[in-house]
Amino acid sequence: MSRVKDHVPVLLMGGLLIVYGLIVQTGILLPMMKYLQTHKSMDLQMTLTLIVGGIAIAGALVNSVKEPGNSIIDRFFLQPLGGIVLILVMAMAIRWYLEPLVEIMSEALQPLLGFGIYKVLNLNYVVLGILAGVLLTNTWGIPKFAEAGVKCARFVLKMGVIMLGARYSFAELAKLGVYSVWLVGFFVLGTVFLVLWLGNLFKQPKSMTGVLSAGMGVCGVSATVAVAPVVKAKSAEMAYTIGTILSFGIICMFVFPTIGHMAGMNPVQFGAWAGTGILNSAQVAAAALAFNAVDIKTLKVAEIFNITRVLFLPIIVLVLATWFGKESGHKLSFKSVVIDKFPIFILGFLLLFGMSSAGMFSPPSHYKGKYIDVSYNDRTQVTNEEWVTLSKAMAAGEFSALTPEQLAAVKNLIEQRQIAGNYAERNDKKAFDKVGRARMTELEGVLAAAKAKELTLSSDVKGAIKHAIKQVHKKSKTIVTLTDFMIWFFAFGLIGLGMQITKKAITQAGGWPIVMGVIAGITKAALSFFVVLWLVKDVVLN
Amino acid sequence: MFKHILLCTHGTAGAQKAEAFVFRQSAADSALQVSVLTVLDEDWRLMTGDDWLNSSKTHTAFLDHVEEQVSEEIGEEWQRIRDTYPAASEAVFLQRTGSIAETITRVANKLHCDVIAIGPYQKSKGIFSHAEKGLRARMKNEILHPLLPCPLLIIP
Repeated sequence: MSRVKDHVPVLLMGGLLIVYGLIVQTGILLPMMKYLQTHKSMDLQMTLTLIVGGIAIAGALVNSVKEPGNSIIDRFFLQPLGGIVLILVMAMAIRWYLEPLVEIMSEALQPLLGFGIYKVLNLNYVVLGILAGVLLTNTWGIPKFAEAGVKCARFVLKMGVIMLGARYSFAELAKLGVYSVWLVGFFVLGTVFLVLWLGNLFKQPKSMTGVLSAGMGVCGVSATVAVAPVVKAKSAEMAYTIGTILSFGIICMFVFPTIGHMAGMNPVQFGAWAGTGILNSAQVAAAALAFNAVDIKTLKVAEIFNITRVLFLPIIVLVLATWFGKESGHKLSFKSVVIDKFPIFILGFLLLFGMSSAGMFSPPSHYKGKYIDVSYNDRTQVTNEEWVTLSKAMAAGEFSALTPEQLAAVKNLIEQRQIAGNYAERNDKKAFDKVGRARMTELEGVLAAAKAKELTLSSDVKGAIKHAIKQVHKKSKTIVTLTDFMIWFFAFGLIGLGMQITKKAITQAGGWPIVMGVIAGITKAALSFFVVLWLVKDVVLN
Repeated sequence: MFKHILLCTHGTAGAQKAEAFVFRQSAADSALQVSVLTVLDEDWRLMTGDDWLNSSKTHTAFLDHVEEQVSEEIGEEWQRIRDTYPAASEAVFLQRTGSIAETITRVANKLHCDVIAIGPYQKSKGIFSHAEKGLRARMKNEILHPLLPCPLLIIP
């Protein structure tokens, strides 16, 4: 009986999800969904809630009658089920309700404040998810039933990165790889040596400067955790360093995207800057998605930089181990320093990249590996900025020279924020597709007329229409599905990691680590900002 | 008056006031039994923060290092106590891992202590102050008080 009681929260969540899915199916919520601009995800909401709800109830019932075991199903599904369901419920609530509400409230408050909170703080579902995780863990705490599941976030985020591997071409990876190796190499080594020099200048213990240099230089808390045993860091040194890195990283997560937008950075530049300047790799992913959550260009660039940094970690550990070993006479094996620290998930990333490059995800029917996808999908939308540009141009009468068909296509693009068929016909895939493709043809006609100087459009308007057309050109159905999963994996992983950022860990920041960390962190962020703007040009990303 | 005092210390200035008081009592009353408890804060496991890149092996290595390091620092504190107070040679020294309030009350209960002695509330030092050992942590009265199995003595 007590075991049943332990699983009541999961049963309740499962039940509520199924009830919600059934309510969505009736269409009662459609007016509210239209108000929140989430009606296009209606089918997804119904399917996802029914599936997750069903799995939650089935799993909780099994857990209620079955003795906990140590099999793969127990460890990877039954035991973490509560946490997985909790994070999924949070992700759905944030994606479909909280983010649209924050956007609506932000727009309502804009005349009063003079700026949009949503835009300035980049409060999209990723940032809101992390904040919700941080808030939960620091107020009520992680519920007992969810503890095991929350730990899955690390694994799920790694799965997200592995899936991201399918989204690169050889050309992209080669070009981004060159940028990342040079930039990361320079800034990682530069920051490590800057902190070691500061430590020497301020006469700080080698163990402290060693652990701080890795954290500030390579990948934040991950590097600190890997290096602390190697340099024999003292308890206060570890606590102060981790606190400093977490605090600095959270500030960066909010500040970087805002500065990136203000400086007019393109996705490649921002991805490169975030991947170089932000300390914690989870916060790099969050900042990239905060900068641009509509498509995944920024994330693709940032993750290449992230991966390059991670590959530098064993090298830095080896350097610090040698440096510290000389002082202490302590010797470490190559295996314990390099092989044990090698991030194995990167092999998965490379495997997916290899499979994708070999054409395994693009059947011949998708001409040249591309097909037109006008179905409802968040990643086929235009960005908020582009939507505002188009709306203003429409209000200013910039489209008056268009043919009635072209004008209707532009109006529909503004209304739906993407090229698509009619909402009412979404269940008739053939009709929906036909209308969507016709609209795309009309918009291509608009661009052709502008190019032939038959009509005058501003470059921003042309750019927005061009992007809308590009958004519906997809690589392959398999890759679209993988990307859809990947976005949910990232959202899941980042909410779960948010739950592992505690107030107690952040408030450990202090002492010399905060002085040296702030000097090194700001120097790295500022220098990398200018270097990226100077050196990194746009790379054509698919 | 008391038969068995549980002295809780982690070596801060406040805790040292409690040490001085308890060992003064112990020197005056040879029948008084003193147990010195230092808690290794279980929240160290949360200090891996949002790290997701490392394997569980690296996490375990980090937590093992933390335990080894903190135990070493606790050993140094105990040695300081033994060097400072001759009466401490009779005391029993204990190190336990867990949340602070729960561990103190659990140990007091298990040892049948009739009083728990701790130092006074210490104002937080500025973030730029010299590093102190261990994690910065505070016990919450609302958590500690309902769990107390015996009187709590706070030495000002």
